[in-house]
Amino acid sequence: MENLQMLMYGFTVALSLENISAAIFGAVLGLIVGALPGIGSLAGVALLLPLTYKFNPTTAIIMLGSLYYANMFGGAFSAILINIPGDGPAVMTTLDGFPMAQKGRPGQALFTSNIASFIGGLIGMFIVIFTGPSLARLGLNFGPVEMAALLLLAMTSIGWLLGENPIKGIVTTAMGMLIATMGMDAVRGVPRYYFGSIYLMGGVPFVPLVIGMVGFSRVIGLMTDRKSAPPITERLHYRDCMLTAHDFKRLLMPSIRAGLIGTFIGILPGAGATTAAFVCYAFEKRFKSEEPLGTGAIEGIAACESGNNAAAAGAFAPLLALGIPGSGTGAVLLGGLMMWGLNPGPLLFTNHPDFAWGLLASLFLANLITLAISWVVIPILVQVLTVPIALMIPVIMTICVVGSYSVTNSMYGVLIMFIAGIIGYIMTELKYPTSTLVLAVVLSPIFETDLRRAFLISGGSPAIFFQKPISCVLMIAFFIFLALPIIKAMWKRMRSSKGGV
Amino acid sequence: MRTRTWFLTVLMVFISVTVFAGGSTEAASADGSWKPTKNVEWVVTSSPGGGSDIFTRTITDIIARDKLVDQTIVINNQTDGGGEVGRLRVSQAKGDGLTLLTFNSGDLVPMVTNTPNRLSGFRPIAIMAVDRHLLLQGTSPRFASFEEAIAEAQSGGRVIIGGSKGDDLNLYSMMLTEFGVTEDELVYVMFDATSDALTALLGGHIDYCIGKPAASDQYIKSGDAFPVVAFAMERFGGDLADVPLLSEIGPYNNIESPIWRGVVTSKATPDNIVQYWSDILQQVSETETWDKDYIERNMLTEYFLPWEEATAYMQAYEENVLAGL
Repeated sequence: MENLQMLMYGFTVALSLENISAAIFGAVLGLIVGALPGIGSLAGVALLLPLTYKFNPTTAIIMLGSLYYANMFGGAFSAILINIPGDGPAVMTTLDGFPMAQKGRPGQALFTSNIASFIGGLIGMFIVIFTGPSLARLGLNFGPVEMAALLLLAMTSIGWLLGENPIKGIVTTAMGMLIATMGMDAVRGVPRYYFGSIYLMGGVPFVPLVIGMVGFSRVIGLMTDRKSAPPITERLHYRDCMLTAHDFKRLLMPSIRAGLIGTFIGILPGAGATTAAFVCYAFEKRFKSEEPLGTGAIEGIAACESGNNAAAAGAFAPLLALGIPGSGTGAVLLGGLMMWGLNPGPLLFTNHPDFAWGLLASLFLANLITLAISWVVIPILVQVLTVPIALMIPVIMTICVVGSYSVTNSMYGVLIMFIAGIIGYIMTELKYPTSTLVLAVVLSPIFETDLRRAFLISGGSPAIFFQKPISCVLMIAFFIFLALPIIKAMWKRMRSSKGGV
Repeated sequence: MRTRTWFLTVLMVFISVTVFAGGSTEAASADGSWKPTKNVEWVVTSSPGGGSDIFTRTITDIIARDKLVDQTIVINNQTDGGGEVGRLRVSQAKGDGLTLLTFNSGDLVPMVTNTPNRLSGFRPIAIMAVDRHLLLQGTSPRFASFEEAIAEAQSGGRVIIGGSKGDDLNLYSMMLTEFGVTEDELVYVMFDATSDALTALLGGHIDYCIGKPAASDQYIKSGDAFPVVAFAMERFGGDLADVPLLSEIGPYNNIESPIWRGVVTSKATPDNIVQYWSDILQQVSETETWDKDYIERNMLTEYFLPWEEATAYMQAYEENVLAGL
């Protein structure tokens, strides 16, 4: 119960006027930054960080923590309404969010994402508060070997992403992997496939690629065929946006499941919210849903949105308890801690309880604030869909250009966005899935780096995957998942042949 | 309609370019007493919150507070191409003294390793601080001592060392030479940052980790990591005074790969402008804020070198790195 007491103490810190204002400011900014594609939590926190150098550290971290957290809510807005993911984690949300909005239920899609985010975040925060330091230590057990095994396991579920034509899916996955190999090799520190361009030496930046592939390709699609997405003509009223009791029932269980898994992924070193959204969605695919995932199912939106918020909350455990960033944004926050004069590390909870607990308490506040703000803005936001396409095209285009510029602070990002957009358009026209390419770009570098580090440690022997208990269990699960469809098929054949005799 | 859309597109792109790319142009330079007459752009090739960013912002804060420079200094975090784009751009900038670049040993190593850009493309202005490395081990080490680990590597076993990119890699190649072992015996696992390498050490996934005093301090104090060797020519001070040097634990020479933080500008910059900035940075290094908020907090050695000495220092470092390639 000591933790609960400390949390209460944290609330006394967080509820001071300046800290509440900081939390509200951070949450509002986070929603905006999240909804604007390209900026994302990493750049949002990074942009705001220099302004907070002069702040009291607790107020500063509350503002940035709220921003980081609210960003996960905001990312879903543009993903659902205009099919442009605000940041990495929202890529998964587009899979079901946009189809659902196109089915004429944009309000419900937004509310689903919002409530699922709230539930996931809440689960994550409670887990972090009650098990914080010990859970963070558990996360340490996931080194390169375990992470590689975990990703391998998650990838057994990638089949569903491949779409109607698995060969096309495999082709785009391979394209994504090829793109991901460009740039600096993370294990040897040498550039590869950069074709003599120093820009490519740093690799293809992810966010401009996504904006182009998903967003700009849609702009081209709209320009060539205005009738492809007719705007909703009648006005959407508040009650048209509300979830029914049945909808709520559908989103609850996926949100809880994803909340638990997402928190766990958030704690693992270097995994991050995008991986969490992916793993949660893949996991949800194994459960029954009313509509198939990928066609605008509430369950799909709930799983990835709850998962990414839970991961954002979970990432605070290693950050505060051990001074280890669980994600890129965490690394920037860590830099902030040092700038404000705090030494991040295992002693932070002991030496600066007001800071650590104040931050955790403020995350609860941020969760509530973002939920409340969203309730007000969602009915207004859905009106976006009633805007005529002739006006939407330049608006989306502007968002694409500004968003991709802001990532690298240079026209390089914009160029990548345009190229990715053209390729994305051609792919969509030829019915090649783009989501597999995008996911391969996110996941394959993590997998490759961990796999190669694992082999460096073992001297090239794959036995290391079975020598460590955690990875051994994961590998066994991996083989079971691989063998399951084959066994099922054989079983069916045996039964049918018996029946035939 | 279509024409209008394209017109809007072109207009948008044009506006973005002009808004964002607007920067400093020429500046008046008079003989001897040069002063910036326009905004100064200070390029940092890492993201906000990173080590180079904090270093730069501490300096510009002191400059602004003490009004050392009349003009505004704008920090531009340019991270394209792993920082190479920003470095190349500064090296090719006009010699008007209005573009500065934070330049560290950790920037020089990948630059000379992976690109044709060399130190000769810049004019060093100053070195502001120097840091050195520690070798850390975790709570349940595989070897009783580092000597034993070296013996294991020398007899063909595998000892795993983790570290970050850049200057840690330089130290690692010095270790290979000093211990007479190969890359397969003393294996280097490269991580994105020291904090990632420390995470792997804490989880027991690697045997040793190359770290810097400031980043490792908390883990040493909490008992999660132990410093086994200091890679320096003389012992560290303060809490780390007990950490032995390499020559103290076995028949080895001390090795060090100093991590320096400096500032450079384009190669076309004349002496008087370089001198001006070097003097400004010297004034910064003499302030109490610099000592307290930067040097002490980051457990660095106070070490200011004005431009002429900084040039010689960086050149010697570059030669050392090039020799190891």
